[in-house]
Amino acid sequence: MFLQTLVTGLSIGGIYALMAVGYSLVFSVLGFSNFAHGAVIMLGAYLGLALAVKLHLGIGLVLVGSIVGSGILAVMNERLAYSVLRRRKAPSLYLMISAMGCSVFLENLVYATIGSRFYAFPEFFSRQVVQFAGSSLSLLDLAAFIVAFLAILALHVFVTRTKTGIAIRAGVCDMTMCSLMGVNVDRLIMVVFLLAGAFAGVAGVFLGVKYLVYPTMGWVTNKAYIAAVIGGLGSLPGALVGGLILGVVETFVSTYVSSVMRDVFSFTLLIALLVWMPNGLFGSDTEEKV
Amino acid sequence: MPALVVENLHVHYGAIHAVRGVSFTVESGEIVSIVGSNGAGKSTIMWTLARVVPLTGGTILLEGAPLPDLPHLVVERGVALVPERRRLFSALSVRENLVMGAYNRKDPAGAARDMERCFTLFPILKQRLAQLAGTLSGGEQQMLAISRALMSSPRVLLLDEPSLGLAPMIVETLMETILKIRDEGMTVLLVEQNAAQALDISDRGYIMETGRIVKSGTGRELSDDPDIRRVYLGG
Ligand SMILES: Nc1ncnc2c1ncn2[C@@H]1O[C@H](COP(=O)(O)OP(=O)(O)OP(=O)(O)O)[C@@H](O)[C@H]1O
Ligand SMILES: [Mg+2]
Repeated sequence: MFLQTLVTGLSIGGIYALMAVGYSLVFSVLGFSNFAHGAVIMLGAYLGLALAVKLHLGIGLVLVGSIVGSGILAVMNERLAYSVLRRRKAPSLYLMISAMGCSVFLENLVYATIGSRFYAFPEFFSRQVVQFAGSSLSLLDLAAFIVAFLAILALHVFVTRTKTGIAIRAGVCDMTMCSLMGVNVDRLIMVVFLLAGAFAGVAGVFLGVKYLVYPTMGWVTNKAYIAAVIGGLGSLPGALVGGLILGVVETFVSTYVSSVMRDVFSFTLLIALLVWMPNGLFGSDTEEKV
Repeated sequence: MPALVVENLHVHYGAIHAVRGVSFTVESGEIVSIVGSNGAGKSTIMWTLARVVPLTGGTILLEGAPLPDLPHLVVERGVALVPERRRLFSALSVRENLVMGAYNRKDPAGAARDMERCFTLFPILKQRLAQLAGTLSGGEQQMLAISRALMSSPRVLLLDEPSLGLAPMIVETLMETILKIRDEGMTVLLVEQNAAQALDISDRGYIMETGRIVKSGTGRELSDDPDIRRVYLGG
């Protein structure tokens, strides 16, 4: 029972972490909360669903399709809704409002076209279990955790080892100086949204497979936001650890205490942690020396 | 051909008219300094040359052609800026800062050579490669800021108050380094509060007051000028 709960917690935490990463990336580069991220996750889930139901694709190809589709969607989102504000150096509040608008627009677009029905993914491996140390662990849960872990590890390698990745981190420090290194800022931001969208695609598919697909499913990004803040906004290891902690704590609370208490616990955890560590677990505050 | 020709430059920040019709020329291979009191508009000129701050009037020619109007394109054309207060990528390591300096280069071998050259100029950096830039001492940060700019192998180097916060002895070394960089074929536009030392190494200089150039001449002429001695060189 304990091990089972832990694995379920890790899988939910892994999905939170995937969502938190995309959210955190945009926040650290552009300095605003991209509330449209949840809507991109939702559309990624619908796209994955369509690929699975209409084209009968397996989980691997469904993931690839959703990654590509959501990546492109996130880039379009930036081009249409944020880039103009960004170039006019609008305050980040305006970007946030624009993001909320996008979120409402996309959700209602789905209501108007696809409808409010709840859809279930075909069962890839949701019922399959593996026996381990006397517990039966869901294969889906294991897959969600492993994929989340590997995806975030890959992103970590990307931002620390490649020139474009280093440029993203440089842009987080100082975007003006980044452009003075010869970086085309518009292109760099496009890469950031492509990455955030790709992660949204993975998160959307796993969320849809684990639960259901419906227009407001993106609202769980609230949880991803908590995860990102717990870990330290802008930190990749932070997003992973924050997501996992949140997922595990929530699952244990709903299993051993009560599922009604779950969200009370998450928010209490968030507030308590922020009182102790205002920058989150992995947040940094290196200051410029004069 | 002159490296830079600035003609009748105007820059506004909203209602503030920070640069009011400035014209100057920097010949290839020269060290030219702009000297002036606080708020004269020196840094504004530097940011305008880097295309970070938009100009509201005038023209800028780089090696005879109009200066491109986006920062990353200016870098591509061989101009590098070491801004006031350095503006390093403080959460990145020293090595990553240098890698960023070479971002637009297509010749890895050349970039590796330039990194070695930076270590020759500033040996301390080589021992600090893995350290975060934000944790370097002020002087080390200045060395890194200059090295980062040199990593793009610029033809024109813009230096805004490179001596800020440095001990007098290090300032002296810094000035020698600037001379050395010029002797390797670079053109240097230097902005300094440290007027005496700046004019000392400069071929020519301009004196700025509240957005205007009020005097110009060779480095020697300016440092011998009694008015300038009184105001900028302390007697
Ligand atoms: N971002 C800005 N917004 C509004 N005004 C500005 C801005 N930057 C500079 N100014 C103003 O423009 C004028 C010129 O500033 P600038 O930084 O170019 O001076 P400076 O000659 O470099 O001075 P210092 O020697 O102190 O560095 C000043 O009056 C300053 O207050
Ligand atoms: Mg200045």
